[in-house]
Amino acid sequence: MSLKTSTLAHETARYMRPATEVMHLARMGSSHPTRLSFLRVLLRRLASSEWQIDRPVWNVDATGVGHGVYRVKNAERTYNLVAFAHDLPPEMRSDRVIATAWDATFTLFDGDPTDEDIARLADNVPVQEAGRISPSELTLARANHSVRLFEHVVTALSQGRQPDAAEIAAVGYLMRTTAVYGSGKFGASDRADIAERPELAAPFQVEMLTVWLIRVFTVDIVEHIAAAKGGDTAVRLDPALRRSLGVGNSTGLGMAPFIVRHPVLLNNWMMAREEALARVRAQPTAQPLAISDLNAALAAAVTNAEIWRSEHPVQVRKLHDLRRDLALLSATLNTWDWNAAHPWDALWIWGAQTLTFEGQEALLSLMLEPHGALVDDLADHMGADEAASFRINGAMPVAELRRILETDYAWALAIDFTTPENVARFWYVSEEKLEPRLGERASEDGATLEQPLCIARLMSELYTTVQNFDGTLSVAALMLAHPEHRFAVRRVQITKHHPYAEVQDNLISADMLPIDLLRCKLAFFGASQFDPRSDRWVRINLFAGAPFPDDIKAGGAL
Amino acid sequence: MSIEPEDQTRGDSMPFFSDAQPAPLSCNEAASMCMKAARGAGMSWGMAEEAGFAAAWLVSHGIDGPSHLRAHLERADGRDWADLCPTVTPDGWHNANGQPACPIILGATMCDYADLPEGPKTGATIALGPVSAPILLVPFLAELALSNALSFKLAWDGGAICIDKDATWRETSLASGDVPHLALMLSVQAAEPHKPFVASTPNAQTTAATIAALNTFAMRTTVPATEASRAGAGSTLSDND
Repeated sequence: MSLKTSTLAHETARYMRPATEVMHLARMGSSHPTRLSFLRVLLRRLASSEWQIDRPVWNVDATGVGHGVYRVKNAERTYNLVAFAHDLPPEMRSDRVIATAWDATFTLFDGDPTDEDIARLADNVPVQEAGRISPSELTLARANHSVRLFEHVVTALSQGRQPDAAEIAAVGYLMRTTAVYGSGKFGASDRADIAERPELAAPFQVEMLTVWLIRVFTVDIVEHIAAAKGGDTAVRLDPALRRSLGVGNSTGLGMAPFIVRHPVLLNNWMMAREEALARVRAQPTAQPLAISDLNAALAAAVTNAEIWRSEHPVQVRKLHDLRRDLALLSATLNTWDWNAAHPWDALWIWGAQTLTFEGQEALLSLMLEPHGALVDDLADHMGADEAASFRINGAMPVAELRRILETDYAWALAIDFTTPENVARFWYVSEEKLEPRLGERASEDGATLEQPLCIARLMSELYTTVQNFDGTLSVAALMLAHPEHRFAVRRVQITKHHPYAEVQDNLISADMLPIDLLRCKLAFFGASQFDPRSDRWVRINLFAGAPFPDDIKAGGAL
Repeated sequence: MSIEPEDQTRGDSMPFFSDAQPAPLSCNEAASMCMKAARGAGMSWGMAEEAGFAAAWLVSHGIDGPSHLRAHLERADGRDWADLCPTVTPDGWHNANGQPACPIILGATMCDYADLPEGPKTGATIALGPVSAPILLVPFLAELALSNALSFKLAWDGGAICIDKDATWRETSLASGDVPHLALMLSVQAAEPHKPFVASTPNAQTTAATIAALNTFAMRTTVPATEASRAGAGSTLSDND
């Protein structure tokens, strides 16, 4: 179910940031995770329902090779992560999608796997893309050690001491995933077949559950190897250190097209987040508990910004901005007048006038944090029935299509596509590896095989056509005369009802940064500590600071 | 270009099936593969999405849509739009050049015209003329039946199917199989509003030969690698840290 502007209460709608403000790469590339991020949605559900979590199988040898099974079960459903641990030579360790072997491989099984299932999975999951899984499997994933931290932690624990907290903070995770596939990939269950289940209705819940259970595995495997090495001397990882660990993830250009290819989904994510901000701003007063929760969230954000490391020049500058902005926010909150009218809105306006995009988007996340009761229901609106908006409305007059282009795509029509810098790049799929790539139009071949990700230019071309087409005729007639515009027309009609559907920037310009697209999507996942490794490749951390299964049982804070 | 059957370094959902092996695809895989193949065979991106929809819809209803699409694309490959599209007139929707119409273009166009006077309205009988791989029309008509509360009868010399809430079309379609094309008459009746027919059959399997043929079409949409493109794709720093 998607949100529509018309369903907003009038007083909340007044506080919504318009798409023209929100949907730009510079701002999207400064996104921070919020309590509406998908991993937070998962953790809230696991904590609030009767889910039992255990590890029924642990069949791993002294060198750390074997398999384990992690089970998550309630009265209706059981999910099992089947984890395979391998012995990977260092020279084969690569984060690229083109790697052929990994330190560990995983699949999330729907139900309880039989011995035959495990045998079948053992033949297929370790080879990842070269194997096949079945509709009984929901995801396929793999992960590699952080060599530095993994070795450090194994050595320390095997010698009976805790690892160095500074080392743990510097890396943040024992292993990082290099792909987590869902949605029917390699024969897995189709999203449509499971989307009706309440626990999987929000986006990417099977992927998030997979990664959360992988996090448990990463600790179990270091403790297992340490115990095998150290015998009675070995100790287990201190719970506080353990909790600070997340799962790393390494993501490249391949993920960048996703939010462009799924306009309804992007709209629903953005709209939920923006309505959440508007609801907070619309409150006439501030509750004392919310103020203290805000201060606690700010303290955590300051700590997070301190341990957040990157060598990439763009992120180095943004981290500098963020730290300065958070310090400014701390100082301002010390003397903030919470008794003034609409104090949350006043705080937001102060931030919008004072902070960089990094600081503003961090402030958004901080303002949502104390307001779970007010905003958490919006997570129920972040999925999308994309089939429902697939059909083109052929009865729409071409004049109406033109009007939508002139209003909702004014940003696209304003771009001059005759200048080389505005058409500098082209998106394509490589023949060799079938992965999305970005080429330089002036110096590389293949622009005739461009993927339809240059939305602004497609709209510009459509506009030229409709200017010369009888406006009283139907879109159906336009489609018969100009089938080349069918892709763009579908999007225009989607955007009419989904104002946050489009990234309102030129995705083929010379200065476009693909990491901005990646960061926006990953922030919705709940990622933190974005560390770009190039302009099209980023490492992140997932679930750092989040509870482990036994923490959830103990009622730990989410 | 040839596809190495065991190259697991290709970053896509590329199934590895050979000759007689059954080839079960998820609907997502079928849609994705068929969309790329249709684009490779010359459809616009927007029409190729319709091809992906139709093939995957048939898979979810127990019919090997990808093989039907493959058969159509092999016949349509290289033909102009004018040889594939219908001409919408009050008397019929024949292709103006007398060629068998593309079922994807015809189906999508019928949906485009659904709420227009020229479209398939209650009581109308429309001569569609020869249609290539006609079973690929069914997903579009089934959607239209659902959204506009209609029932359709598709008749040809020697047979007919009804597309309505009972989904009886399936058995007939399976029996009449793999004809290259049929000259069709479409008649339209009002129907009770109904819910989607929930397929009780498992997804259809396709064949290794179909996957190979569709992938050959799909590969036409890809760009050969250069040293520059390889270098730009990954991290500039070591992952062994």
